[in-house]
Amino acid sequence: MRLLQKTVRRYIVYSVFILAVAIPVFYLVIKQVIREDADEHLQAIKAAVKPRIEKAMSDHTIGRLYFADQDIVLSAYHKTPLFETLTDEDLYDTVSRETVPYRVLSANFIIDGSPYLLQIRNSMLDSEDLIETIVKVQIVLLLLLLSGLLVINRNLSKSIWRPFYSTLDKLRNYKVEQHRSLELTMSSVNEFDDLNRSLEELAGRAHQAYRMQKEFTENAAHEMQTPLSILKSKVELLMQTSSISEEQAELIGEMADASQRMGKLNQSLILLTRIENLQFTETESISLKEVIEKAVVLFQPQWEESQLRVRCDYKEDIFREANRPLLEILVNNLFGNAIRHNIKGGRIGIVLSGNRLVIQNTGRPSELDTGQIFRRFHKESNHVNSIGLGLAVVKQIGNLYGWGVSYAYREGGGFNRNDVDGVRKDGECREGLHTFSVLFS
Amino acid sequence: MRILIIEDEKDLSKSIVTYLKRENYLCDTADQVSTGMEKMEDFDYDCIVLDISLPDGNGFQILKELKANNRTDGVIVISARDSLDDRIEGLNLGADDYLPKPFHLSELNARIAAIIRRKRFQGSNILTVKDLTIDLIGKVVMVNDRSLELTRKEFDLLLYLVSNKNRVISKNAIAENISGERGEYYESFDFIYSHMKNLKKKLAGAGCEDYIKSVYGMGYRFVV
Repeated sequence: MRLLQKTVRRYIVYSVFILAVAIPVFYLVIKQVIREDADEHLQAIKAAVKPRIEKAMSDHTIGRLYFADQDIVLSAYHKTPLFETLTDEDLYDTVSRETVPYRVLSANFIIDGSPYLLQIRNSMLDSEDLIETIVKVQIVLLLLLLSGLLVINRNLSKSIWRPFYSTLDKLRNYKVEQHRSLELTMSSVNEFDDLNRSLEELAGRAHQAYRMQKEFTENAAHEMQTPLSILKSKVELLMQTSSISEEQAELIGEMADASQRMGKLNQSLILLTRIENLQFTETESISLKEVIEKAVVLFQPQWEESQLRVRCDYKEDIFREANRPLLEILVNNLFGNAIRHNIKGGRIGIVLSGNRLVIQNTGRPSELDTGQIFRRFHKESNHVNSIGLGLAVVKQIGNLYGWGVSYAYREGGGFNRNDVDGVRKDGECREGLHTFSVLFS
Repeated sequence: MRILIIEDEKDLSKSIVTYLKRENYLCDTADQVSTGMEKMEDFDYDCIVLDISLPDGNGFQILKELKANNRTDGVIVISARDSLDDRIEGLNLGADDYLPKPFHLSELNARIAAIIRRKRFQGSNILTVKDLTIDLIGKVVMVNDRSLELTRKEFDLLLYLVSNKNRVISKNAIAENISGERGEYYESFDFIYSHMKNLKKKLAGAGCEDYIKSVYGMGYRFVV
């Protein structure tokens, strides 16, 4: 939930609660006030009428007593005398032909030993209308107030939080490996400025740490080159010495293999840092088909040795503006991988179509860990000549040009579901189909 | 034949000298641009092995100097910086070849031999070892005047072996030579064995003596 929604939601809940309570309370209070007012009015009339009744009693002219006001009625009352009461009554008004609420004051008089009832009525119609109008106006006012508050609060929050969202946006797009520093715009709010300053410092430190780590890898790899060259040359010279025993020869051979591996490892590390350092600036328009064809020829000894069948399907050629050696490394690494992790007599399928390069190979019937395979030094196999950097390099090149590299796995060896070609006769030796695709955006 | 090695790492240049001396080359060494320049003034070299990063400057200065003086010394650039720019710049400045470090001495030796052959024998370039005749321009191998059908890879492999005759060539060096610079992708050395087997079979079929010996644990040797 967004911060803004969170505060606004609280406001709404509180306001609705207040409205729901305030309007009925207000209605009842107003009604009570008006009723009390009406009662006082009735008492005042009664007080005014009383002397006339008493005068008529003493004159014995009660039968002829006449009130001009229709709302004052004096009638003979047969029941036992009651106390003075004030009641609400709905009476039918013959003029307006509707039921009208009245406030009625009833009082008893004993005249000449017989009871009389005096009733004074007061129509509450106008008062009801008044209450209704007041409440309506009140509701409208409250609603206006509420919506106004909401709108103002919203706009205010938006403008107040704008620096925060801008910071958030910049932070989201910040990459520690990028060469530009995090530059946040200062606002007029102290808290945000503090936050921005801290973030800038943090980003600066992270970048510094990243750079130092990268420099270390870079320097280590570079500095390793020379002693490695010397080591390799000495091993080679050692091979030329006379009277080497079988035992020694084996040791020397293993040393040669190890130094070779170390050399490759080093080269790949240097390559990775060079890509990160954006040192491959020269680009040209390159035909993917051409690069693939070259790789297929280059690796012919290897894939022929493993008795692999390579099938290339160039639906359409893809041309991309890129650094040629890097693109070649990308294709070579993927193709080399497809050979290395294949099975004897397996297949490799290369499809070029749309903006996608797909390299599929038969291999072990187990899915690779997608989260891990593109990481440096992650090895799925214990192949002697696998140094675990090939796919990391592929990913890095992909990142450089914004190309997506993905992996998919399917059980069985067929390149498509109708491909019976890949189904092996002995059901035991199952195989999986590993697919790497590069999306050239 | 005289070779100049300009390399600041003494141990490496010592290794190169040791390896090349067996080919009966006369080797001079220099560990700086300035000393290299001095040596170049005194002699015309058949080949100069040139490192790019040197303590008092840059190997490219030497290439420029050679070019300015219209010298025809063959130059092979060796660079620790596995950098394409070095390769391109080196070749643009007139270097004959480029070899990234770390390299195999056998590879360096074969490349030096190729440069020297190109410089010495313009036009016809034929290498003869015992009953084997290798025509480097026509890419044809003759055994006792009978031509041999070799694939491109087999031809290169034979030439590599012959260039390093009587030396133990490691499997890694051969693998790298066969698969070019992207030699890191070989799954096993099996493909070397089969290439070697085919080559030996073809040579034997033509009545050639079996010069290619495998050396236990290490690699191969072309014995003459």
